[in-house]
Formats: sequence, C-alpha cells, structure tokens
Amino acid sequence: MQLIEGILFEPVGCLAEFPSEEFNEIAVRLFDRRKKASKSASRSFWHLLNLIEYSHRNLDTSEKAFAESLELQAVDGAHLYEDVVPALSELKAMGIKLLIASSLSDTAVTHFLEKFSLKDFFSEVWTRDNASGIKVVPLVKAIINASFKPEHVMFLTDTAEGLKVAKEVGVNSILMINDPDEARKLAMDDPAGGIVSLHELPDFIRLVVAENARLPRL
Amino acid sequence: MKKISIYRPTSIEEAIQVLSLHGTEAGVYAGGTDLLIRLKNRLKQAPTYLVDIKKINNLRYIKEDAQGGVQIGALTKIAELAESELLAKKYPMLVEAVRMISSPELRNASTLGGDILQEVWCQYLRGGYACWRNGGYICYGAIGDNSYYHSAMGGRLCYAVYPGDAATALIPYNAKVKLATPFGMKELTVEQLVPGDMMVDGRIQSHVVRFNEILTEVVIPPPKPGLRASFEKLRPRGVWDFAMASLAITLQLRDKTIEDARVVFGGISGKPLRETAVENFLKGKTLSTDLANQAVPVALTNAAPLKYNATKIDMAKGLLVSGLVRLNAAA
Repeated sequence: MQLIEGILFEPVGCLAEFPSEEFNEIAVRLFDRRKKASKSASRSFWHLLNLIEYSHRNLDTSEKAFAESLELQAVDGAHLYEDVVPALSELKAMGIKLLIASSLSDTAVTHFLEKFSLKDFFSEVWTRDNASGIKVVPLVKAIINASFKPEHVMFLTDTAEGLKVAKEVGVNSILMINDPDEARKLAMDDPAGGIVSLHELPDFIRLVVAENARLPRL
Repeated sequence: MKKISIYRPTSIEEAIQVLSLHGTEAGVYAGGTDLLIRLKNRLKQAPTYLVDIKKINNLRYIKEDAQGGVQIGALTKIAELAESELLAKKYPMLVEAVRMISSPELRNASTLGGDILQEVWCQYLRGGYACWRNGGYICYGAIGDNSYYHSAMGGRLCYAVYPGDAATALIPYNAKVKLATPFGMKELTVEQLVPGDMMVDGRIQSHVVRFNEILTEVVIPPPKPGLRASFEKLRPRGVWDFAMASLAITLQLRDKTIEDARVVFGGISGKPLRETAVENFLKGKTLSTDLANQAVPVALTNAAPLKYNATKIDMAKGLLVSGLVRLNAAA
C-alpha cells in the first residue's frame, strides 16, 4: 500500500451506528421496495442508494423533503462509536486529511456533524447535494478537490456496495469489521485492508509508513 | 519453499554484522521449531537469510550467579530447562511451565530464546493468509474462528495471542534478558521484552527485538524465602498444544500474609498479561480458601472477547481460583 494522505468517511456505519428503519422506509415509500428489510443500517442505506441509482430518475421536491426528514430522524437515532473522537484526533495530529464523502443529504450530514461535534475534524465535507450525485460521485469530488491520488486515499466501509464503490474510484477500500460474520463474507471481495476498531487506523497508517520506509540494507 | 541462504557465524559480533547487512530479510535461526515451519509453510514474512547461531559458543548454559540467581543462555534447550535440578530447586514453577511446552521431541530441539521470541501460532498466519503479520492489512482471526488462538483482551491490528509459556512463567520471577546489539549489550525485563503487538522495523511482532539484535541470556534474580509459585495451563488437547489460558502466579508470603504478588495470564492476550488489579487486591491479604473467590471479580474486568472466545476469560478466572487454592494448600 502506498503512503496514505487522506481518509474518506461515510458516516453511516463508519462513524456511528444508525437505525435502519428510516432508510428502509424511504425505500418502501419512494421506490416501492418489497424485499424484506435489513436490520443493518449500512446495508439498508446502500441498498437505498442502489434503488436511487437504478431508478434513473431525479427525486421531486416533495420526495427530497421526505427523504431528508427521514435521514434527519436517522441521525437523531444514531450513536457515535466510542472510538471515533480519539481516533480522528490522532489522525488529524498525524497530518492525515479527513474528509466526509457521503451520499446523505447536506442537511443530514450537517446535523450529524453538529450533533456529535465532529465538524472541526474534517477539512472538506462532500454530500450528495454539493457533489450532485451519490455513491462514487462524492468520493470523486473529494479526491479531485483535495488533489489526492486515489491510491493515497482510504475509504472506510462495512458493505459490499461500499467496497465496490471504493474499487471503482481506485481508493483503498478498508473494511470496518462491525459484524464479524458479515465481514468474513466481505473479506472475499478482497478489500485493501480491514480494521476492528477506528482506534487501529493510526497504527494502520504508521505501519504503511514504516513499510514504505522499510529499513535500508546497510 | 523459497530459496534461502544460511550463514553460520561463530561469534555474536559476526552474527550481528550479517543481520545488519540483510535488514529485515534476515532472521536468527536457533532451534528452528518456529522459523523452519514458517519457511515450510511458505509465509511471505519468513526470512530469506538465516543466521544460524548454533555455532556460537557460550550461549547454552544454566548456571548460578554470585547473588544466588540463575543465568540461562538463550540457546539452552527447553528439555534442559525441564530437567535442570538447579531450576527445580530455585524456580519450580518455571520448570513446571516448561514441561508443559509442546512435545518431548520439540522440547529437545527448541531453545529458551526461541520460545520467548516465537511468532504467533494463529491458524490464519500459519496457513499463509495475507494478514497483518504476513504482508496484508487485515486480521482474519477477528472475522474467522477465534476460539483458540486469539485474544480475548482486545488487540492492536493483530488479534493473535502471544503463545509462549516460558515468558509467562519468567515474569513473576522478575526475570531479565540481555540483548546483544550493534551498540553493545542491552538489558530489559521479560515484561518489557514482550509487550504485545508492536511495530518494530516496519513489522508487527510480539517482542521489541530489532532486526539486528540477538537475545543472549535470561537472568532470574534469587528467590526470597517465603516465595510460593504456581503455573497452570489449559489446552484444547491434554498435551502438545498452546494455552487457551494459563496462569503463572507468585506470592511472597510471611506466614500466611501476602506481602507481594505477581499474577500473569498467558494465552488470552497479545502478551503475557500481568493482572496488576489482582496483584494489588492480594497484597496484604491473608491467604485462605475464600480469598480465591474474592479475587475473581477483580480479575480481567477490561476483557474484550471476540465472537467465539469469551470462554477464555472464564478459563482464566478458573485458573486464578485453582492457582490460589493450590498455593493455599501448599502454604
């Protein structure tokens, strides 16, 4: 792995445990989803993104408002992982640029960052609104705007869809091992790496630095 | 197996020169019961240049020092420790522990230094998976079967447990080690030597020995009168396996009052885990059968088991009870 300069975060599943009901509700009401709803917020969220993408239609104003209100509700019900603040503080102190690259709405992301007092950690915030798109779009915008090379960037995810998106963009896909059974299946998708807890990220990056500077032979 | 080159230096200085020459591509070769298996299993992390230190004189001995302590050369075989009358007289718990290491055949080949510095025995690493210790960036133990050889006390990227028994048994005796380095000898306690998953020279390893350093000697201070010790080990099989949980405990007694205690768990964490909360709880108490049960709630309160290994914590707590009961019966 090459030296890491930046990390992209999608709040759902990487920074906080969200409830799944709201994302499932959006899928049912706006896309007539009939499949059994997942209990995992991340899977529900990424499934919703697929529905939006495959529908090839833009949401009208009332649909957008409906989706946003449920996303805000989801943020209200979210619980920040306890290792987030210490990990982000350490990463920032190490000089790693932290960016939000989310397919949530502007309103939801802003509310999320304010609710958990995380705003100051992130140098840039990309959402489906200011990036004008979902899935790969916020990631690409974040990378271009920060002048990163994709291979110097990590994207954290705990879903197969997230891994796919990271691969499409060419960034290092880092599997968040939130559910060991799910992670075991996802490991077959060949992520660039995996972590059990965010507190491991600084060590991960230090290890990559050490490997890149592997001892010169005397 | 990949092509390897073997050097056979005849002095520590020469060995250090060779290790320095090849950087992290080289590794010390002594008993070979760990290293050769890593090579045979085609692990990416296995060294290409083996520095065979068996020809170096004066690294294989067990001798009493002037203060009444014991010095053990790093190349001393585990079987020699197990059969040593001097060790049995002064540190019976250490002898008890090394007799439970592996099989008689392997105890005849493996060395004390090798046992202390051995690589973890996670089935994923040994199976060639590209994990943190083998060129990859994920711990398969965290997502796969972690019931036997993975930490129930959290981890730092790698979740494999430290597998050695000798270090677990040496820590309660306040043993120290000597390392030969390019800049002279360095002395550390065994506890400092194996602090768990560390990044050393761009690699994750359980110990702090750098690529061009060699463990040469273990020094155990003289035991004080009134020292009682116990070692117990639970294995998936009755023999020839690594600990699912083990406990080395020493109590410094005056009559039945505990003046000092050392409690070290093995097989449950990335390092021999000194449980200072229990040590502090025991200090000043009178050794009794009840004390064992009173100590259990204090133990391992920060356990963080993985999906399949919570039972290790129960095992470790059970060993704490049986260890203290055993010491009480012997006191």
